[in-house]
Amino acid sequence: MDRRLEKILRNVQKPARYTGGEYRAVVKPREQVDTRFAFCFPDTYEIGMSNLGLRILYGVLNEMDGVWCERVFAPWGDMEEAMRREGIPLYGLESGDPIAEFDIVGFSLGYEMAYTSVLNMLDLAGIPLHSEERDGRWPLIVAGGTCAYNPEPLAPFVDVFSLGEGEEVTVETVECVRRGRREGWSRRELLFHLAQIPGLYVPSLYQVTYREDGTVAAITPEPGVPALVTKRIVRDMDSAYFPVHTIVPSTEIVHDRVMLELFRGCIRGCRFCQAGYVYRPVRSKSLKTLAAQGRASCRDSGYQEMTLSSLSTSDYPPLVELCDDLLEYCRPNHVSLSLPSLRADNFSMDLMQRLQEGKKSGLTFAPEAGTQRLRDAINKDVTEEDLLQSCRTAFTGGWSGVKLYFMLGLPTETDEDVLGIAELARKVYQTWREYTPNRSRGVRITVSTSCFVPKSHTPFQWEAQNTMEEYQRKVDLLRDALRRDKSVTYNWHDPQTSFLEAVLARGDRRVAPVIEAAWRQGARLDSWSEYFSFQRWMEAFQACGVDPSFYAHRARAKDEVLPWDMISAGVRREFLWKEREQCYRSQITPNCRKQCTGCGANRLNGGVCDG
Amino acid sequence: MAEHRLLFIKEGRACYISHLDLMRTFQRAFFRAGISIKHTEGFHPHAFISIALPLSLGYASRCELLEFTLLDGAPEEVPEKLNPVLPEGIRVLDCYTGGRPIKELAFVDYEVTLEYPEEKVISQAKAALEELLGRESVIVRKRSKKAKSGWTEVDIIPRIRSWAVERRPGALVLEGVLAAQNPGLNPELICAALQQEHSDCAPGFTRFLRREVLDGDGKAFR
Repeated sequence: MDRRLEKILRNVQKPARYTGGEYRAVVKPREQVDTRFAFCFPDTYEIGMSNLGLRILYGVLNEMDGVWCERVFAPWGDMEEAMRREGIPLYGLESGDPIAEFDIVGFSLGYEMAYTSVLNMLDLAGIPLHSEERDGRWPLIVAGGTCAYNPEPLAPFVDVFSLGEGEEVTVETVECVRRGRREGWSRRELLFHLAQIPGLYVPSLYQVTYREDGTVAAITPEPGVPALVTKRIVRDMDSAYFPVHTIVPSTEIVHDRVMLELFRGCIRGCRFCQAGYVYRPVRSKSLKTLAAQGRASCRDSGYQEMTLSSLSTSDYPPLVELCDDLLEYCRPNHVSLSLPSLRADNFSMDLMQRLQEGKKSGLTFAPEAGTQRLRDAINKDVTEEDLLQSCRTAFTGGWSGVKLYFMLGLPTETDEDVLGIAELARKVYQTWREYTPNRSRGVRITVSTSCFVPKSHTPFQWEAQNTMEEYQRKVDLLRDALRRDKSVTYNWHDPQTSFLEAVLARGDRRVAPVIEAAWRQGARLDSWSEYFSFQRWMEAFQACGVDPSFYAHRARAKDEVLPWDMISAGVRREFLWKEREQCYRSQITPNCRKQCTGCGANRLNGGVCDG
Repeated sequence: MAEHRLLFIKEGRACYISHLDLMRTFQRAFFRAGISIKHTEGFHPHAFISIALPLSLGYASRCELLEFTLLDGAPEEVPEKLNPVLPEGIRVLDCYTGGRPIKELAFVDYEVTLEYPEEKVISQAKAALEELLGRESVIVRKRSKKAKSGWTEVDIIPRIRSWAVERRPGALVLEGVLAAQNPGLNPELICAALQQEHSDCAPGFTRFLRREVLDGDGKAFR
């Protein structure tokens, strides 16, 4: 281990985050490696190691002969300071080698507030920030993940964006880089070749022009470069790579357990939810595959905790059979099985009670909106009766805490909808009074609200976000309404972060200098309250002459060219607009299993959708 | 009570695994090695293990002891089953039935390497350290969770059973047999004493290695 590193590890918090050497970390002999890949996660080790995508791509890349993929995370402030002081550049955890010497540096973009950490990591690595400053001597900078669906705010910094699922396209990218090296391509030639690979978007090969009113006039690719980049998907989930043999961190991470992925996509079509649209079409794994992978994952990792993961777990058709099958293995081996993201319906409650086996942790429901009208408008297919029935079951069974999650500022929301949240919380309280076997224990009902952030590739991509003042007014309104309800705790998110998220989520290339300015003024790890400064961001907007309100608070016209129009998630734009119109009529669209409404995503899978 | 004991090494990158994380690491390693061990009762049963004398973060050791109860299989087979599934830097040397009560563990043999960037300071530091350890009493201020002021004073001399200082290229090596518990002495406090009494002799970097655990007679403790 590097002596300078050893010296600083003694004085930083949780040093095991920076050492590597965990069980199943991949170390390859350098002489057998021709291509080195740094998989960078722009957040801490604990967050990054909890990401299933990282584990999948790490496994896929390291299965390739001659390719060595290592992990890199954003250091916490104390470590960053020590690294800068001692002149230690950002290194791969497996080898300790500086990543500036690698062939490819890939970033996983899951959250807009991590953008400043991307810049900070490039800088810590000693890699020039801008694509145009990097020739073939520098690593190729690629980025993927959900945020890549609107890549434009990072366009000047990233060479190639990878759209959709990376299992196949990441391999193709590496092969293309190898070929480029063999044939002596310049960086520009390499980028041009990469742009021919389906699912890869090379921003420097597209020119964006703007109108006088600030909207995008046109996005023009260079000759020979595709005008539309469509995301990639894995067609057959049963044969897709799954990281059964995966790293077991030696220090506690956020999701410190086996994550068994049931399916991709979601049948629900909640109109605010980007994941619900961009991960389409629905593709399930078979019961047999999952039963085998679940067992093998526990055995291989030694984790005695397993969670079933997907966008909406209770929508996996053979869920009961799967749980029964897994429990056969889990019970005798002291492995606990848990289900996140359950819906508030009877089926889920039955299942939950069976899995709990005596344990009574808190129950969480996400009705998202306070009234049926608004729930219909956002296509959240949960009724008040569903929710109360679930609460009845829970309270009868002895639960005494319920968390309810809502969003404020959803399109078409009125004050009546906001106050409806308080109404619903009161009804839950009444249900508890009626059904609890033991009133003296009391009940804890927690209402949490977040601020809606319109995202690209959803029916709400054209919507204006509420102003921060409007959000505050709604929070105050609800807080007032709940003031006398002693059993209800009200938590709310601050609108400042949501405002910035809205700007970054739908920004164009003119937002890039703002991100850089904020970073230069010290922004990094912006998802952590220890580091986030709203003031710093506002100063950055001002310094760059960019009006954030233009991106957050402006409703887009139907025919406006959107900054992400060169990217397709498979769902047709007309479908999204139709869904938006359905919202304004408070009309629900049936879920994909009741009726296919022809979103278009199944074209990516030869017409097949498991919805 | 635990019926079996492991003797293991913790070195290299594994030095930075904390005590709690190390327990979790072993719990998982037992499971992936297919070794059944006794679990706790209750809603959240977990493998029942304990590690004697928690090692400070960053220290290396050749003599860590872990107590557990094997439910089936022979203890002799445990090292070969466990070693392939442990993280880098952790290696099991031995597994056996029984073992003496931990309260009889009296001393720890440490090797402390004080590294200096300049050779010329080393002779001076050697003399300083020898002078310090030769005193009747050396009081060091130490952080304390119990004391109201947050600090407490410790006399390190009575807790040192024997010591020797040797010069090596670029470093000074202190070999010390220190009290293990009730109360024990962390060798870091000897370095703190050196810093306190001879601040010009403070090393650039210090390495700590636990070489052996000993009983009251100075024999290896198992």
